[in-house]
Amino acid sequence: MTVSMKRIYAIFQKDLKDLSKNLFVSSIVILPVLMAFMYSRMGDILDLHYLIINLTLASVTAFIQCAVIAEEKEKHTLRGLMLSPATLPEILTGKSLVSLILTIVTLVVCMMITGYEPANLVLISFVILLSCLFYLALGTLLGLLTKTVVEASVVILPFMFLFGFGSMLKPLVDDYAILGFVEYLPNTQLVELAYKIESGLGFGSLWSHLAIILTWVIVATILTIFVYRKREMDD
Amino acid sequence: MAVLSIQNVEKHTKDMILFPPFNLTIDKGQVVAVHSNLNVRLALMDMFLRKTVIPNGDILINGSSISENKQIYLKQVCISFYEEGLYERLSILDHFKLYKQLYGFNQPFDNILHITQLDEIKHNKIKNLTHSQKRRVQFARVLFQNPSFYLFEEPDLNVDIETRSIFINITKKLLEAGKSILVLTGNIESALIISDRVYRLHEAGLQPYVVEKDAEELNSDPSETENDREEVFQFNKIPTKINEKIVLFDPPEIDYIESNEGQSNVYIKGEAFPSVFTLNDLEERLKPYGFFRCHRSYIVNLQKVREVITWTRNSYSLVLDDQPKSSIPLSKTKMAQLKEMLGLK
Repeated sequence: MTVSMKRIYAIFQKDLKDLSKNLFVSSIVILPVLMAFMYSRMGDILDLHYLIINLTLASVTAFIQCAVIAEEKEKHTLRGLMLSPATLPEILTGKSLVSLILTIVTLVVCMMITGYEPANLVLISFVILLSCLFYLALGTLLGLLTKTVVEASVVILPFMFLFGFGSMLKPLVDDYAILGFVEYLPNTQLVELAYKIESGLGFGSLWSHLAIILTWVIVATILTIFVYRKREMDD
Repeated sequence: MAVLSIQNVEKHTKDMILFPPFNLTIDKGQVVAVHSNLNVRLALMDMFLRKTVIPNGDILINGSSISENKQIYLKQVCISFYEEGLYERLSILDHFKLYKQLYGFNQPFDNILHITQLDEIKHNKIKNLTHSQKRRVQFARVLFQNPSFYLFEEPDLNVDIETRSIFINITKKLLEAGKSILVLTGNIESALIISDRVYRLHEAGLQPYVVEKDAEELNSDPSETENDREEVFQFNKIPTKINEKIVLFDPPEIDYIESNEGQSNVYIKGEAFPSVFTLNDLEERLKPYGFFRCHRSYIVNLQKVREVITWTRNSYSLVLDDQPKSSIPLSKTKMAQLKEMLGLK
């Protein structure tokens, strides 16, 4: 079983074209950009930059991935793809590439609007990409669990709030012990990582945050594979 | 060696038998049509999709079980669904490009556009196509693949005549290339047009499509006492029985009559009325009214025939002028007879 770049590219091309004509899904990109405009007036605060970045990841990456997969299920096209020579990793790679590229474009635009210039671009990009993997897996998971685009866009809302605005809950943690889990969410971890990188700390002091994000990625991936196995060939 | 071999396959739902164990083999270059109801068809489709485990039997493709290796299995079969998804926002051309890369098809696809007659509308988006045109895009997908076995689900349900003829053309091409085809359909007419080997699958098992004995054979039956009936008053109406009611029809009202497992049904304006007579009796009675036995299981009112369609050299259809534009099969031998009646030679 070899991975065929040709098939990945074919699926990527198809999805990109389809998405560009699908305003219901692709218009979600406006949300983080609009937020970026609003917050850009409040000045250069790291928390705000990451509010936008987390929102982009939760809305653009996860939502688009989720909606695209839910639509394939809704229109019975996923079945056709699965019966074709394309393997599951190929199908998902092709689809994830579309969400990923759209995310990167949105992120760059947002960062230009808010004027965010990270101290260590390479490290930050790496961390954001790692987080992207989690959101892609989350989107795939929810896409597989739902049956229609409308259902998917409703189901993903709480996740968008939790991961997009979750860092806003942080001040409440001291008052309500039950919210302690917020500390370990990938978005909170991303913000803390950014603070440490900004203050010039090296790789050595970052590994605990990276490990937590990586755990999220792995858990989400395993869940996705598990759900896929259960729902294989489902209409 | 058989390309498809279904061995001892059965299906129960709860305590009901959907179909008892049956065997079926299809060799290279053969087409088989199986007529069944919706539940049976869906159960079979699930088996071919490897969704359900087949308890005691097995389905073999080229000698290996379909449950063995998914990748190998997928290379050997091509399944054309009745409800197959297309990307609504993409054009036909986009689909063809996707299929070409997906299935590693390494020739230009102009030929496929031509066969499916989608040339002129190739830039149209799927959502702007009619049902029949969408079906043609789905048939086109089949041509990008190169497996040894093709499974078609309800290929010509609700499609226009052009699309039906394209589908028959495609099956002809596939058979010439030595492929094997199984057609699952709920429409006996289309089964008869597509294949010479037609089966019915139901609670009683897989049965070859039973055709009534020819008229000559029946006439030689000594138990038949034709002469007695001559003396009785012959009334011209055709009685049909619905529940306990007997409904009488004038022969010119009737569109056609179909025989289904020994039960003949009279069709009037798209509705079926079970008749109390056999097809042979009806043929006898209706001959003076311009009725014609166009197939072993069909009698047609020639006054209602609008078109005669030639699908292949061996299969023909009559299209009627009635409400649902029903098409009924015309067998090869009867075609010659019909031509004679029409004064064509």
